Amino acid sequence: MLSDGARRLILAHFWVAFAAFVVALILGEWQMYIRSPLAGWIGNPELYYRSVTAHGSAMGYVFPTLVAMGFGYAISELALKQPLIGRRWAWAGFGLVVVGTVTAMAPVSMGLASVLYTFYPPMIANAFFYIGIVLVVVGSWIWVALMSINLHAWKKAHAGEPIPLPMFAAVAGAYLWAWTSVGASVEILFQILPVALGFKTTIDAGLARVFFSWTLHAIVYFWLMPTYIAFYTLVPRAIGGRLYSDAMARIAFVLFLVFSMPIGMHHLFQDPQVGSGMKFLHAVFTAMVSIPTFLTIFTICASVEIAARLRGGTGILGWIKALPWANPMMLAVTFSFVMLGFGGAGGLINMTYQLDFAIHNTQWITGHFHLIFGGAIVIMYFAIAYDLWPHLTGKALDSVRLMRAQLWLWFVGMIVMTFPWHIVGILGMPRRMAYFDYDHPAITPQAIYVTITFFGGLLLLVSAILFVVVLVRGHLGSRIALPEFRFSMPVHATTRVPVALNSFALWLALMIGLTVVNYGYPIVQLMALEQTSVPAVPIGVK
Amino acid sequence: MSGVAERAELRWAILVVAIVAILVGMMVYMSLHWAAMPPSRVETIDPTTLHLAGEFVEDNLGTAVEPNGSVTVRIVGNQYSFTPQCVLVPTDTPVTIRATSADVVHGFNIAKTNVNVMLVPGYIATFRTRFKEPAELAMPCHEFCGVGHAGMWANVKVIDKAQFYKQAANARRQSCVK
Amino acid sequence: MSDERLFSLKNVWFTASVGAVLGVLVVAAGVGFLWIPLAQSEKTAAGLWDAICTAAGVPAAFRQVQRPTTPVAIPSNVIVSAQLMKPADSQSIGRGATLAMQCTVCHGARGMSRADSPNLAGQHDAAIYKQLRDYKSGHRKSAIMQPLVAGLGDQEMRDLAAYYSYLPREERATAGDSETPLIVRNGSPMRNIAACTACHGGSDGKTGSPRLDGEPEAYIRAQLQAFASGARRNDIQGQMRNVARQMTNEEIDAAARYYASR
Repeated sequence: MLSDGARRLILAHFWVAFAAFVVALILGEWQMYIRSPLAGWIGNPELYYRSVTAHGSAMGYVFPTLVAMGFGYAISELALKQPLIGRRWAWAGFGLVVVGTVTAMAPVSMGLASVLYTFYPPMIANAFFYIGIVLVVVGSWIWVALMSINLHAWKKAHAGEPIPLPMFAAVAGAYLWAWTSVGASVEILFQILPVALGFKTTIDAGLARVFFSWTLHAIVYFWLMPTYIAFYTLVPRAIGGRLYSDAMARIAFVLFLVFSMPIGMHHLFQDPQVGSGMKFLHAVFTAMVSIPTFLTIFTICASVEIAARLRGGTGILGWIKALPWANPMMLAVTFSFVMLGFGGAGGLINMTYQLDFAIHNTQWITGHFHLIFGGAIVIMYFAIAYDLWPHLTGKALDSVRLMRAQLWLWFVGMIVMTFPWHIVGILGMPRRMAYFDYDHPAITPQAIYVTITFFGGLLLLVSAILFVVVLVRGHLGSRIALPEFRFSMPVHATTRVPVALNSFALWLALMIGLTVVNYGYPIVQLMALEQTSVPAVPIGVK
Repeated sequence: MSGVAERAELRWAILVVAIVAILVGMMVYMSLHWAAMPPSRVETIDPTTLHLAGEFVEDNLGTAVEPNGSVTVRIVGNQYSFTPQCVLVPTDTPVTIRATSADVVHGFNIAKTNVNVMLVPGYIATFRTRFKEPAELAMPCHEFCGVGHAGMWANVKVIDKAQFYKQAANARRQSCVK
Repeated sequence: MSDERLFSLKNVWFTASVGAVLGVLVVAAGVGFLWIPLAQSEKTAAGLWDAICTAAGVPAAFRQVQRPTTPVAIPSNVIVSAQLMKPADSQSIGRGATLAMQCTVCHGARGMSRADSPNLAGQHDAAIYKQLRDYKSGHRKSAIMQPLVAGLGDQEMRDLAAYYSYLPREERATAGDSETPLIVRNGSPMRNIAACTACHGGSDGKTGSPRLDGEPEAYIRAQLQAFASGARRNDIQGQMRNVARQMTNEEIDAAARYYASR
């Protein structure tokens, strides 16, 4: 059971996360409208890039971070069955994230930081944009520390016992984030901020891109962690089944720890500042990081089949009929898997070096990460919120039909939005442009697809509103006597776990070691180059 | 039961490793046989003095014929145009693109081809390719480079090899800028 | 379980995981740093060490490309960056005011021209300074300006720029409203015409680009035509020639009229 203090803490995280999400979603849909053939060219293109900066920063840095933090605290209390240690610190971390968000968004909304959430030095924005982002990250580091402290306190009291799987996974996610965020933090603190604050006038844009790539890819796995935790520890229980294999789940999570970071240079395949051997190395390790996802697909499909057979399903595929399709969690995991499948296939294309040249920096990429993050990942955030809500509010959440409608809308909307995006990407349409000349014969064939994406976005907007309605109705519902919160049980009770899968030392050592090997040489070599620091280009100085 | 489950897991794990190995093998094969690795010999250059001297001064930009019959295209990107803003290349000839940026990060792709290059100030990007048939292709800047980004579109004109080399006799550098 | 040591060669998890990672690393590095680069460099007969260095990204000149060495014309010898100008002090502005006495015939007593010469009051200092330098070096041609700046030193040009940028010019509404011509607020993407407002104020600025608000219509038109024809070519990287060349006469008129009216 959650303590009252933890409930307030988690609800605060979730509500701020969802508020940021809805605002960013509205901006995103506005962007889709503005650049589509439905609207005339925007009079002041700067407004568009301002909006993209806000949309990306809120969706990339604020929303998933707060969801991971809130969910992490919930797991700590529910899985360890002990009150959260360091609740005041947790509030301090939350406060830093909120203050950081406001600090970053103020210059963005004033048009002083239209550099997008990927920063793009040597363009330099108002210093408060970067300071705000740093505050958000520092706030999340407090969460990392608290997750670790809570786990160690539990371990002390339960020497030799297996760490409950949800906590094991959540702490893996926390450590992953701690190391992932180092890349962009170094970029901001040591490269960008000294220029933004006026201490320096030049910056090495190539080196900055290398540091950012360290964060930019693995951050997706940080976003993914709550989703995978839900796959393993919520879904089987929610649909009346069992987790196929506890050990396989642990292996998947530690593989993410090891392979998420040293692969980011696949974002730099076309860049001139990295050698082709380094690029190949990163491509190979990018292939490795697909392994935990493949393992997850197997384990979860097997777990779902167990649920179906427990419900009387038979036959090679006939069991699918026996699944509880009215259950929102069942719908969510199905949709998530479908989107993960398409998005993952697209990701394999991005990873394959030669194929990437056809689509790098086109709308394909935008379509790809919206399908993976906005689709496969975020739809499970909804499911997590629905699952936890009664335990946070103490009230019944019974708008099941609304939930189903919401999930369906999100799924259909995401497909309608991202598939045409992929197509125009293959046709060569570049990303991040405020307007296109659809009358030109080279662009005219793309117009219809861009129009379709707008309507997909509209479905997403309706879905997000429904989501908020469901949650608000949850607060207004009738008070209920809550059953004890349960995570999924494995088929075979977990009595003994090898020490390797009950601790993180080995995997953290591999994570750091591999990052040093794969990033060490390019970073050192670029730092040693003297003449590659180029003059900063201030943005927003009118 | 437990044995069956573990065998199924093992079979799947083997399949996964096989999939990954095939993908990586494909990459290696293409790298070896299509030479489709970006030949990114890391090369540096001062972006502020591109216009003063060296390889990327204005008169050197455009398409040049090399002694071995291949062509080299030199391109500079800045806010908000590529120079030359119309690139002329022959069909069926090895083309080496050398490009850099004079200010911020830019990049370009050429529609319907695999040409895709990032321009990072301070570094020279090199990309080798070949164009099959005559065409007029769009070449947008594909990395956000400031408020005027949406107006940064260049063009590529692929013309017949014979005609290209005929014109080359009278021009040190060729482009299709009118 | 507590007696099970993790970091030990007897622990199969330790040996298997470290071994697998190292194995992948060694194989990938072998392929990426040796096999592929060597296979690709056959034609150029470079050595093993050279192939490894290329793959790792050691900076070096690209071998197979000839570098042109012919002497060439350059557009300007000014290096333009955000650091081109230092913040002006009052002494610099004062010296500039004195120097500006000889400019009043064309550019007006307070930097507002009555002829069709550019208004300089409130102009960006970097824009003024760059043009003075270009007149002096001959990269921008003018029978009137070139003799006048011939005797000016670098600090004097900076003083003049400081003085004129310090002089006030009345502010007007921001760009981007419906009356702004399309060519000014959006340009024409497929002809590679970026929005004028992206560099000349309204949406954003670019170091060295002048503000155009209130400049004489005839002057703006003449400059756009000169850029289009190539008669004026002191814009670094052809940044204005690339734009003006693509503009129609009507668009040049619309832009000139619009800026002159502001």
